[in-house]
Amino acid sequence: MSDTPETIATPDSTAPREQAAAGRPALLRLASRRSSLARPLLWAAAAALAVAVPFYLEGFWLQTGLFAMSAAVGAIGIALLTGSTGQLSMGHAFFLAVGAYSYVYFADDPAAGASHALGGLGLPTPIAAVLAVVTAGVAGGLFSPIAGRLKGAYLGIATLALIFLGQHLLFNAEPVTGGYNGRAVPPMELFGLVFADSPSLVVFNVPFGSLERLWFLGLLVVLGAAAFARGVLRGRPGRAMNTIRDHEIAAGVMGVPVARYRAGVFVLSSMYGGLAGVMLALVFQRTVPDYFSVLLSLDYLAMIVIGGLGSIGGAIIGAVFVSVLPQLLTRYSDNLPLIAEPGSGGVSPAEAARILYGAAVVTVVLFLPGGLAGLFGRLRAMAAGRAALFTRAPQARLSPPPASSSPSPSPDTRR
Amino acid sequence: MGKFGIRTGTITLAALALAATACGSGKATGGEAATGVDGVKTGPGVTADKITLGILTDLTGPYASFGKSLTQAQQLYFDQANAAGGVCGRKLEGLVRDHGYDAQKAVAAYTEIAPKSAAIPQFIGSPMVTALKQRIETDKMLTLPMAWATSLLGSPSIQVTGTTYDIDMINGVDFLTKEKGIKSGDKIGHLYFEGDYGQSALNGSKYAAGKLGLTIVEQKIKATDQDMSAQVSAFKDAGVKAIMVSVGPRQAASLVGVAVAKGMDIPFVGSNSAYSPQLLGTPAAPALLKNFFVMTAAAPMSAPIPSIQKLVTDYQTKYPGQAVDSGVGAGYAAALIVGDALRRACQDKDLSRQGIVDAHRSQSAWEGGFGQPMDFSRIDQPSSRASYVVKPDKSAVGGTVILKEAASSALAKEYHVPVG
Amino acid sequence: MITFLELLLNGISIGAVYALIALGFVVIFKATEVVNFAHASLLLAGGYLVARLQPVVGFWAALLIGVASAAVVGALIEFLIIRRANVGSQSVLAIVTIGVDIVLTTELTRQIGTEILALGDPWGDSVVHLGQVTIAETRIVALFTAAALISMFLLAFKYTGWGIAMRATAEDAETAALMGIRLGRVSLSAWAVAGALAAVAAVFLCVFPTPGLDRGTSLAAIKAFPAAILGGLDSTTGALAGGLIVGVTEALMTGYQNQLAFLGRGIGDVAPFLVMIVILLLRPAGLFGTRETARV
Repeated sequence: MSDTPETIATPDSTAPREQAAAGRPALLRLASRRSSLARPLLWAAAAALAVAVPFYLEGFWLQTGLFAMSAAVGAIGIALLTGSTGQLSMGHAFFLAVGAYSYVYFADDPAAGASHALGGLGLPTPIAAVLAVVTAGVAGGLFSPIAGRLKGAYLGIATLALIFLGQHLLFNAEPVTGGYNGRAVPPMELFGLVFADSPSLVVFNVPFGSLERLWFLGLLVVLGAAAFARGVLRGRPGRAMNTIRDHEIAAGVMGVPVARYRAGVFVLSSMYGGLAGVMLALVFQRTVPDYFSVLLSLDYLAMIVIGGLGSIGGAIIGAVFVSVLPQLLTRYSDNLPLIAEPGSGGVSPAEAARILYGAAVVTVVLFLPGGLAGLFGRLRAMAAGRAALFTRAPQARLSPPPASSSPSPSPDTRR
Repeated sequence: MGKFGIRTGTITLAALALAATACGSGKATGGEAATGVDGVKTGPGVTADKITLGILTDLTGPYASFGKSLTQAQQLYFDQANAAGGVCGRKLEGLVRDHGYDAQKAVAAYTEIAPKSAAIPQFIGSPMVTALKQRIETDKMLTLPMAWATSLLGSPSIQVTGTTYDIDMINGVDFLTKEKGIKSGDKIGHLYFEGDYGQSALNGSKYAAGKLGLTIVEQKIKATDQDMSAQVSAFKDAGVKAIMVSVGPRQAASLVGVAVAKGMDIPFVGSNSAYSPQLLGTPAAPALLKNFFVMTAAAPMSAPIPSIQKLVTDYQTKYPGQAVDSGVGAGYAAALIVGDALRRACQDKDLSRQGIVDAHRSQSAWEGGFGQPMDFSRIDQPSSRASYVVKPDKSAVGGTVILKEAASSALAKEYHVPVG
Repeated sequence: MITFLELLLNGISIGAVYALIALGFVVIFKATEVVNFAHASLLLAGGYLVARLQPVVGFWAALLIGVASAAVVGALIEFLIIRRANVGSQSVLAIVTIGVDIVLTTELTRQIGTEILALGDPWGDSVVHLGQVTIAETRIVALFTAAALISMFLLAFKYTGWGIAMRATAEDAETAALMGIRLGRVSLSAWAVAGALAAVAAVFLCVFPTPGLDRGTSLAAIKAFPAAILGGLDSTTGALAGGLIVGVTEALMTGYQNQLAFLGRGIGDVAPFLVMIVILLLRPAGLFGTRETARV
């Protein structure tokens, strides 16, 4: 691969265009559904913003954004399971771990010379990523005797077992996982473009390191993941899932194979978890077992509640909220009232973030049915209502938060 | 539909135009390494009047008390150094980020502070340092992890201070055979944490046991375990004559307390992370005072060494009423090591990251007045192989006193440290 | 053999503490069908108060105040949050309790800071010798306390008005309400009782074989989850059985770690969850749980 910036810049500068193309089907469907042009315009503005972000924001924010993207994919999985089907899972972190570690195992060459030999299959990285997602699905499928039979909170606690079992395996299956040391993650390589810091790449005078490159890949994955989940929810399976959530027996009577659906959704949500794990591994550049703990699973549950249960947009908004909030507080702790410098004895930024996000879960359930997504929806309805009074609607007023380039809050899909 | 396509196209182009203007954004290339007016080459984190040092610590997680002592001690060093005119005519400034012992937060915090920091004199948590090892190497950021696992060796920019856990345990087993009557054929127990702390320590005890004809009885636990009754039963059943302890203070207290209550009058030898003076306020205190020994490369805060006594006085003046524990010494010494590296780099007129690492690695017998001299020139070796044996003591500053001066056992000297 | 007995006894006694925690889950689940993930923070709150108050008022008074306050905290959570939550499914309420738990635990650990707080209990580190087997006195007290409390609850469920109201609610909340049972009161009392039980459990978690209360104490509550569910979330007997099974499994697997090394070191922590999975495979509602039946 050549090292001159110009030659590499050419393929990459098409990335935004590719992305627009990939986003098109969803946009088209929207356009046909609603004749109003305000919505596509909003979309395009969001897309433009998302493309511009890596050119301006520093690495720290890009990384926060990437964590949020990975969280969004994982949260969509949990939203399908908990939000739409009414099943609780506290084992999501396990599937993230399966995704992350399988990707590394499939993609890495067997390590020679190291003190502990690490296995690996050395497959091309895109194939490894797909296989990793499939593996997470298989892991979810193996759990289906439990996932199909138990419901609600019972399943929630049963899945706790996955976390503990998972961490036990991560620590002990050293040839695959690298034990407590974890493993280095081979960078993704797609169509000749390596998602790493080297070889160096400069686009429009901005150095494009791994974070900048991954940003675009992350956007595409989130869009794809959201579109697929939307398809599932809008279609026949979505209705079956909601019926199971709302009235299990009625669902059974109407001919929905309840256990099979429960197990199926569990597998699907595991695959989303696996995909989130692969993304996370690529951003982290190293997998460590400590990370995949109960706390991570709890974060995911908090995300979907904060964002708004049952909708894809809600999951994404919740993921962004939970991933970005602590970073915002840490970064600007000096300028915020009530928050003390780390170590000075008051409420530290990390503590403030945890308290805020715990409180957000409670507040949303008490005062904001439908979560943040529902709130946005209502605001928009209000704005639209007011605009309708003045004969012509100029433009929609709300743009989604910059870090989520994802579908803007969708109307409640429960109907 | 066609119209719509055109519209999207236009907007994509607009986005590209927006991106193109990014040449004006702060991220545009250029302005990497520079040379200041004083002829010193500077890198990230170094300006004409300030050197920023990143501190990645744990103030809200399981190691909060350790992190607090470390951070305050380092703040004290920065204040003192600045009062004396700074380093290289520049003030030292700490940039503190709390990761709460969470790998993702640590990675995020590193990404944030790395572009602004010249070196990292404190990074708590070996899982976190391991997660960032490659990036620290690429960034050539001199980093002092506050963890002593062998997996952190072997990287030019990561400097483990003092001994590693395995060396401490080798010296500990040696101490048992020389002074506590353990002899060939005996069994000794080892209670250790899952993870690289426990694993490193276990490597050491196993090596020493192999050389001395002892058998190790292993018990591995997790950091969330609280009650060591079952482990004690297992050790008792195996008939161990001593127990090595590489866990947290809480578990160590439970282990020693239960064992003594069950009538096991045997010595316990802990890694430096297995003890905290807070334990002396709990019911486990009598048992700890009787049979517990700690192996550490750093001299305890009660040691009759002038620089340590001065540190204790200064620390108590700046932070009155706060506990002086081993974190104070470790933190201050680490800040001093980085300060000395910066001073050397300044002499070489090169405060770039590479310059700082090179200056640091050029010291083969660093001596800061905090115990043993350290050799920083070998990246795949611990910087010291000598450990003190210290004993809990209620009246001493920091809760421990020296029982045996620092020494490197013959076994520890010939031990080949596994790297990575 | 001695080791086996000792491990068994240890397991039973720690199992009794798990059973006390699990009992709290069960009481709340019976009354409201909510799985209370905030139980760990109730535990921490009770323990914290006892630890802070005991130097001032002595252990027994502190225990009384701690138990009462934890009950109040539990009741407040029900009254201020659970009752007002506007949700369709109990799974969401479970997530709400996670939110509550995060807030409470963060604030409490901030208060505890870096200290290890001793509880000043009268048993200290004394042990009882039963033949060649030794066991901590605190654990024997825990075993008897748990047994007493659990039998008290069994009787209360059977014979008191409160117990009947609670059972009726668990059976069919709507019908119970129509029959004049005040659901709010049943739910409030269940949360208060759970809080009190958590405080009692906290005391036994922080005394002798462990050095005292610190920020990690609430983590032990996580082992009570498999205990509650493998016994059956709506069964008081199940809580006791579940607690004992978890305690004994953990102790034996840990004690025989060397013989079980092929399963990976540290299997003792995972074993309770493995047992839980096996039991759930055989009986999805747990050992003593009532299988849900519905007529359409």
